[in-house]
Amino acid sequence: MHDVLIIGSGLGGLECGVLLARQGLRTLVLEGSHQLGGCMQSFRRGGLHYDTGLHYVGGLAPGQAMHKAFEQLGLLTLPWQQMDEDFDHVIIAGRHFAFHQGYEAFAEGLAKDFPHQREALQSYVHRLQNITDADMDVCAYDYLHQVFSDELLLNVVSAAAMKTELRRESLPLFNFAHTCSSYIESSWRLRGDGNLLVNKLVSIIREAGGEVRTNSKVLRLTETDGRITKATCADGTSYEAGYFISDIHPAVLCQLLEDCPSVRKAFRRRMMAAENTCGMFTVQLSIKPGALRYFAHNVFVYDKPNVWTMAEKNDPVKGVMISARAPEDGTDTLLQIDLLTPMLWDECKAWEDTKVGCRGNGYKELCKKKVEQCITLAEQYIPGLHNMVEQCYTSTPLTYRDYLGSPKGSAFGMRKDCRTPMLSFHSVGTPLPNLLLTGQNLILPGIEGVTMTAFETCRKITQDYAR
Amino acid sequence: MTREEIIAEINAELAEEFEIDETAITPDAPIYQTLELDSLSLVDLIGIVQTKYGVLISKAELPTIKTFAQLYDYIEQHQK
Repeated sequence: MHDVLIIGSGLGGLECGVLLARQGLRTLVLEGSHQLGGCMQSFRRGGLHYDTGLHYVGGLAPGQAMHKAFEQLGLLTLPWQQMDEDFDHVIIAGRHFAFHQGYEAFAEGLAKDFPHQREALQSYVHRLQNITDADMDVCAYDYLHQVFSDELLLNVVSAAAMKTELRRESLPLFNFAHTCSSYIESSWRLRGDGNLLVNKLVSIIREAGGEVRTNSKVLRLTETDGRITKATCADGTSYEAGYFISDIHPAVLCQLLEDCPSVRKAFRRRMMAAENTCGMFTVQLSIKPGALRYFAHNVFVYDKPNVWTMAEKNDPVKGVMISARAPEDGTDTLLQIDLLTPMLWDECKAWEDTKVGCRGNGYKELCKKKVEQCITLAEQYIPGLHNMVEQCYTSTPLTYRDYLGSPKGSAFGMRKDCRTPMLSFHSVGTPLPNLLLTGQNLILPGIEGVTMTAFETCRKITQDYAR
Repeated sequence: MTREEIIAEINAELAEEFEIDETAITPDAPIYQTLELDSLSLVDLIGIVQTKYGVLISKAELPTIKTFAQLYDYIEQHQK
């Protein structure tokens, strides 16, 4: 019998594991696949580790958004490397702009390019620092239009928000601001792969007496007298616990709850019918040694000032994020680069019934074409990139779906809509008092969002125990 | 949609979704008790009305809907 059983070992699940195991609760994390970490996991090809979802983290300096949380989670001791003072570069239609760390430096830096928008920039960074829950009802795109009269600047400040799904009609300012804000405070990269973070969390859970198991796919949750009492895995093993936390997509969780009378159709249907955000196409390149020096900033390249509309249609690629992997040997030799661009499910729907490695030539051709388009865009910042590539690996929403269980390969989970915040932002609670949710689907995606939610999920359990 | 059509449709839908006997739904019956709503399942009710009729019940107006008759009124007045 465990105090807490956590389904899924994504960042949220592991963070909950750390917070609860450290309180002395007997904690068990069950991961369905053979690999821990969800979006934080990395994979090895040709002697190099490639990351899935970890590129940079914001606000780790003392007093900033993520410092205290990472300190409590034991993650500050990892080899974080502060990025360049100009941490994000933006190229739109051939013009080059830079984001500087620190709110004032950010506004002043862009004011040099847009002197007529200086006051608007100051107003913008002030607003970023004062975001409240009320901003869940505010349309980010409308707000940006109110504050910036210069359309190019509106595109520039939005350009690095490829960490969420930019949708003109629905993205809440709350989500847009959280996606941008902590990175402006300070931006950091891990000198190493995402498994460093995953392994750190797992080791803390184990040191605190908790357990973490792979290949333990939960297929069914059993309700007794209005509470979940048991999780049964695919191999027939059952685990009993006092509390259960789901770090899997809520629509997938509903499939485990089919025999639970307390979960009525209305809840099930709301979770199953919720819209999901778009997926991402990722190109992971290994670079010929000596061909390129490391740069400790990201670059966002767009062929036109259409940052908010470019993902509405897929073909061709119109914007790409370039993320360089920090060399682990301390030299400035760059060996790996990731290129990322949004990708809609419709573009890979034709192969939805296929499995990894067996998708056929049509899929390979699609990936090849998109790689070519991504590299061509990236060459606006790295001339000759085509000739520097040693190996190239790709992932699409199908890859996300198959490895991470994300419906339709959604990269940022369930979509948030400023027009229906009550329906699209989700509580950590469920109809069952001892079953709680965590992860990127509830409130905010990204490392900051998932971490904030993990604290909220654990707070509920801690409060119950205190009673 | 006429009021009678709304009543017939929403009653059937709510009985199905909240797994209760449809005969318990009468115009003057209290919604919260009849559907056994808490803060979480209240969101489910709002979701059903929004999906079915394109009518979004605002946070401010929620407290004014206490009976099924008041729900029918709200849908009738706000449906597009």
